Amino acid sequence: MNLWRWLWRTMIHEPVSLTRGWSLFVIFFMSPALTGWAFGKGFTALRSLDSAGVEGEVTDGSLTTVLVWATVIAVSEIGRIITLYFGVIEWTRSWTHMETILRGNLLRAQMASGGSDAGRPVASSGEAITYFRDDPHDVVLLADGVLDTMGALLFALIAGAILGAAEPRAALIVVVPLAAVVLVVRSLDTKIKAYRSADRQAASEVSRMVGDLMSGATTVKVNGAIDPVMSRLEKLVRVRETTAVRDAVLDEGVYAASKGASGVALGLVLLVSANSLVSGAFGVGELALFVAYLSWLDFLPRMIGRLLARYKQAGISFDRMSRLVADEDPANTVLPRHLPMDARSGREGGVPPLVVTRPGRVKLQTLELRAFSATYASGAGVNTVSFTLKRGSFTVLTGPIGSGKSTLLRAMLGLSWDTDQAGQLIWNGEPIVDLGAFLVPPNAAFLPQVPQLVSDSLADNVTLGPRDDDAFAGALELASIAEDLEAMPDGIQTMVGPRGLRLSGGQRQRLATARALVHSPELVVLDDLSSALDVETEVELWANLAEAGMTVLAVSYRAVALERADQIIRLEQGRIV
Amino acid sequence: MEGETTQGANVGRWRLLLDLIRPDLSRWLGLGLFVAIGAGLNLVGPLIIGRIVDRSIAGVEVNEISRLALWFLVVAVIVQIMAVIGIQLSAVAAWKTTNQIRLDLVRHVLSLDHEFHRSHTPGELIQRVDGDVTAVSDFLSKVVPKVLAVLVIVSGTLLILTVTEWRLGLGMAVYLIAATVMTFRARGRSVDEAAKEMSLTAKMYGGIEEHLTASEDLRANGAADYVMHRFVEDSRGVLNGSVERERAFMKMWAQIQGTVSLGSIIALIVSGVLVSHGSLSLGTAFLLFQYTQLIAKPVEDVIDQLEIVQKANGAMTRVVELRQVRSGILDDGTTSPPSGAMAASFRDVSFGYDDEQPVLSHINLGIEAGHSVGIVGRTGSGKTTYSRLVLRITEATSGTICLGGVPISDIPLAELRQRVALIPQEVELFSGTIRENVTLFDPSPTDAAVTDALRSVGLESLAGTGSDEGIHRQLGSGGLGLSAGEAQLLALARVWLRQPDLIVLDEATARVDPQTEARIDQAVAALREGRTTLIIAHRLSTLETVDDIVVFDHGGVGEFGKREDLVREETSRFRQLLDLALEPTAATTPNQEESPMS
Repeated sequence: MNLWRWLWRTMIHEPVSLTRGWSLFVIFFMSPALTGWAFGKGFTALRSLDSAGVEGEVTDGSLTTVLVWATVIAVSEIGRIITLYFGVIEWTRSWTHMETILRGNLLRAQMASGGSDAGRPVASSGEAITYFRDDPHDVVLLADGVLDTMGALLFALIAGAILGAAEPRAALIVVVPLAAVVLVVRSLDTKIKAYRSADRQAASEVSRMVGDLMSGATTVKVNGAIDPVMSRLEKLVRVRETTAVRDAVLDEGVYAASKGASGVALGLVLLVSANSLVSGAFGVGELALFVAYLSWLDFLPRMIGRLLARYKQAGISFDRMSRLVADEDPANTVLPRHLPMDARSGREGGVPPLVVTRPGRVKLQTLELRAFSATYASGAGVNTVSFTLKRGSFTVLTGPIGSGKSTLLRAMLGLSWDTDQAGQLIWNGEPIVDLGAFLVPPNAAFLPQVPQLVSDSLADNVTLGPRDDDAFAGALELASIAEDLEAMPDGIQTMVGPRGLRLSGGQRQRLATARALVHSPELVVLDDLSSALDVETEVELWANLAEAGMTVLAVSYRAVALERADQIIRLEQGRIV
Repeated sequence: MEGETTQGANVGRWRLLLDLIRPDLSRWLGLGLFVAIGAGLNLVGPLIIGRIVDRSIAGVEVNEISRLALWFLVVAVIVQIMAVIGIQLSAVAAWKTTNQIRLDLVRHVLSLDHEFHRSHTPGELIQRVDGDVTAVSDFLSKVVPKVLAVLVIVSGTLLILTVTEWRLGLGMAVYLIAATVMTFRARGRSVDEAAKEMSLTAKMYGGIEEHLTASEDLRANGAADYVMHRFVEDSRGVLNGSVERERAFMKMWAQIQGTVSLGSIIALIVSGVLVSHGSLSLGTAFLLFQYTQLIAKPVEDVIDQLEIVQKANGAMTRVVELRQVRSGILDDGTTSPPSGAMAASFRDVSFGYDDEQPVLSHINLGIEAGHSVGIVGRTGSGKTTYSRLVLRITEATSGTICLGGVPISDIPLAELRQRVALIPQEVELFSGTIRENVTLFDPSPTDAAVTDALRSVGLESLAGTGSDEGIHRQLGSGGLGLSAGEAQLLALARVWLRQPDLIVLDEATARVDPQTEARIDQAVAALREGRTTLIIAHRLSTLETVDDIVVFDHGGVGEFGKREDLVREETSRFRQLLDLALEPTAATTPNQEESPMS
């Protein structure tokens, strides 16, 4: 299984914190060996005091011995607390880095315009949050489990050696319940995996519904549908309740049962040692040693059990995360990536300035679609469409609803992941190899039918990168939104709110239009730009685009657009008519 | 001032917990009893061992020691079994209890006004109604039983030690009080850090959710670098937040752990002194040693879970805050407008956000019952806001809106939204079947009624042919599998099913082709019968059959009159718009029967 390799690559994303945290934890795990040993010695000293007391004279020497051992315990404990304090902080750093590299790779795959990084877009963003939130967490829990198990194993080796030297028979019997725990956990493997995956499924359905409701709150309200949607949500929530309880009982139940294993082990030790206890060969010092070590030793089977469960869960998580990345290959979730977020390397400095890499501009002469098809599994889509766009021309794509206009535009731009595609796009006589990677600014820009903004400043929503003031002002003018901006107190720094909801529908549309124009793309692809615009604004916009000499491919039904068109392409049932 | 808010938040948190537990009180009490018995059994083992130590020193028969050892083993097994059952019981109780608050919160958020949704991303809200509540649930199922167990063990230890040797009991009591004081003193700051970390985390997830929603725009416009930059910024916040919280937490941990270790060291020294004076048996000394270890263990457990406590603390504060958000729209009306089509009148209505210039100012309009009114105007002229005001999704800053002669604030909200329907600019769809999307999960309409509604709006394709799943076909989240035009028709079907008295169409035909538009127009024409209709449109062809026209201009009414009159009047703004759109002005006597479909 490659899981260990993926885990390793996740872990070494940030090696400094990993090494520091790891070393501190090793010391932390070993220190109880010293503490327990000192307790054993302390009680042996107590025993001699007890015998002395029987004879009626206090031996100060022995009391001093007890104090010495008490001091050893104190030093050992202080050391343990200090190493853990710093160990946890380093480990938290390391762990956040691990989660971030996974999330970063998922996000990158979802945002990449073509290229080797691009992954299939997720269906629902509400559901996708569980991929970003829970799955990296599960992977990191495995890393955590490995660390704990290694520590516990080290301790067990040391403790085993000391116990074995003191009482070989009793030390052997301790292994029985501890091994039993490991076996039980192993046998529950399949169930753990099945329960966990059912629980994740149920949780996904809840978040999807909650996500839908949070984005569609207005629709629910204006349709007076709060009661029925709530009863639906209630059903989903109940299902998750059942799956979550099953999951918890198995997961934590195994954990709790294994914790009790040390009690059982101590019972067995007492049973097999009854003879030596009476004879005095198994003294109170040894007993203290066993009691102290056993309270730590049960950590090992617990950690092994937990590690096995976490291994399974991490496997499921990599499976799930792989759906978001290129080629659905889990290896792509752990690609090394520079994410300059370490607080240590310059907390004051902030994140380095944004640098955007774009493909080089290839001046458009002609763009030819040659027998281009994009078909859905159902058979719908566009079929063998061919046409040519010339530099500076204005082409209108029209046709009835469902005739494949949006599908064609999206497929051309490498955005249609759910269709099978055939045919070529030929740019100045050269076939385009990777549509998604090439047809982005400055070569092409796209305005979808329902443009989406993000909660950021108006300016950032347009430029999506560093700002060139002239180009920016020009795009605002072209998109006829400059005037609206003047009315806003914060101007271009106005925050548009979540999904741009602080702006009107038309403002959002024009801002998105400005976004499509800001890099003076060689080709502008507009999917029904007029849907949220009034006639005056639309006429103005078409005029602006013509004046700027832009090459435009636009879906529209409007007379004002058709009037201006150099070329009109009418689609019906996926074919040009 | 700050102290007061913290105090208030504390009270809020406790009240929330009480509110949560009250409906399921007997379940929680039963759980408590079970956990207490399980914890109490933990105290038995050390007593047996103490006895073994004393008896073996006294030199008894091997049999007696073996018998005692067997007892010890039996108790250990029972403790183990009870622990597993306890987990089951507490998980069930916690989920039952917190599911209720999940549902309450979603309902609450749905009832909040547009202002609230305008300033919170759906991703953030998901985190708050689901993530935060899960943190509370973890607290209830994992921490509460453990704390109870610690309390039982501590008090049991005190009792047994006092009975065995009162001085040990007293010493232990002093020690425990000191330890408790230390623990509580250490607690404060870490709670604040936990809340801070959680809000930073919510911000990061909110950003991811939003970028995923906009992924097509972002991919097509080469925004990956930009998105990653934002992500790194947010992740850096999360990193700093986590480290700070962990630091605060570990300070607390170190104090508590130090206290526990100190306890066992003191116990050893005290034992040394007492044993050397012959006033303590070795068995009792061993009992004391085991009890200090025994207390240490569950306390460590609780410390392990402190992270959950911190998270739950922050989460509860946020849940309480969310519950305290009140909708700006009061639902205390009691008057019903007369049945049938409603007149709509606006008297000096204005609306604006605090920090910006008004969106609408001094609107005066009287729309007659049963009339259909076309509303046009440039984007940003306030048309959408206007439609929201009619449904009280947002509340007018000043002025009065009356429907059927009754001010809308006097109409119960449920009735208002029953009788007024909005078909918005952007149709929101849900993951579910077509039927569920039309009825919005309401099971009461029959399948036939739903199919009929779909056919009436021209969505025969979705109504099904009988051979396929028909209206029970599953749609993806956000209406995946429907075109934008189909989505808009579906929104129309929702309204068709409800048969309201006043309909507001906000760009309902914006995203459809002329043929579909004609189908919608037909459906709307039928729906308009006997109702008042407000149609906001960019495409003037949609407005061929309306009675009146309003032209909005910079947040005010620029023009209002009968359509016929405005079309005839060459200088009217509406006529100018028609000319600009290259649409025929001859259609002064619109012909409703004519349709490009035929």
